Amino acid sequence: MTWITASLIVIVLWGVVGLLQKMGSNESSSASLLNWTCAGYVLLLPVLLIHSHLFDLSLRSILLGLLAGLTNGLGAWALYAALEKGAAASVAVPLTALNPLVTLVLALLFLGERLTPTQTAGVVLALAAAVMLSYETVPPQPNTTPLSALVP
Amino acid sequence: MAANSVNPSGSPDVQPDGHTRLNRHLWKWLPWALLGFFWWGLFGFIAKVGSADVDARDMQVLFTLGTLPLVVFILVRRKGMRNNSKGRVIGLVIGLVAGLGNAAYFVAMGRGQASLVGPVTSLFPLVTVLLATLVLKERFNRVQAAGVVLAIISAVLLAT
Repeated sequence: MTWITASLIVIVLWGVVGLLQKMGSNESSSASLLNWTCAGYVLLLPVLLIHSHLFDLSLRSILLGLLAGLTNGLGAWALYAALEKGAAASVAVPLTALNPLVTLVLALLFLGERLTPTQTAGVVLALAAAVMLSYETVPPQPNTTPLSALVP
Repeated sequence: MAANSVNPSGSPDVQPDGHTRLNRHLWKWLPWALLGFFWWGLFGFIAKVGSADVDARDMQVLFTLGTLPLVVFILVRRKGMRNNSKGRVIGLVIGLVAGLGNAAYFVAMGRGQASLVGPVTSLFPLVTVLLATLVLKERFNRVQAAGVVLAIISAVLLAT
């Protein structure tokens, strides 16, 4: 599987998550939905643990994996906090949708990644598209979960 | 008073055109929105560095364990906990689907550049917007329609 195929699977699955969040936002508060989502993550563990090499991992690798979960959760938490403190979802959600910019800058600085001119154009358009696609003009009801709040 | 202007959570007033006032309490929420932007961007970077040595399934196992402190915090805080049985089922299904999506994200990060995987996977609202028109009969706005066009051009550029 190439990174493009894997990324397409991500887009479809996270896209379905976005739809489910829209459906769940009338039934649950953000905090509650976040907790039940984590319960769903736990339900998936038995499947993931088949052929697991968890106990062969270095401490560094384990910490990186734990940090991935923590930073993702903190991202969702911070967005909820912004919305609770009066941010318009039509501004805060597109703003946080720009987050791959941080990933990109860190990867260019610390991992020595480079982009061709065509890739740079594609990346700029992708980021612009991500912001525009997450622009919701319909104001959500109080305590609802905005689009893309549980996945970055 | 319109129903949508009542907002007990302290969100800004909804203007007659359906937009909210941008500058109101900017300093209160902007730091949090920027934090969300930063944490999620850092998540992508950590996913990239971690996926270099760790299998995608193991990354999702550790990811799950890493989210648990937040779950504990939310449970201890006991604030804004509201759901019904339908909401709980939707939450569980979100976790299952998002968990598989995260595993695919770790696969992508393990095999491609983070500077490409990050921006490309951020196109997922494309699927949400399209599904919402089919399933929820929502209509996407002009900004989102332009976003769909940009996403397609971007995909063509990055796939060639």
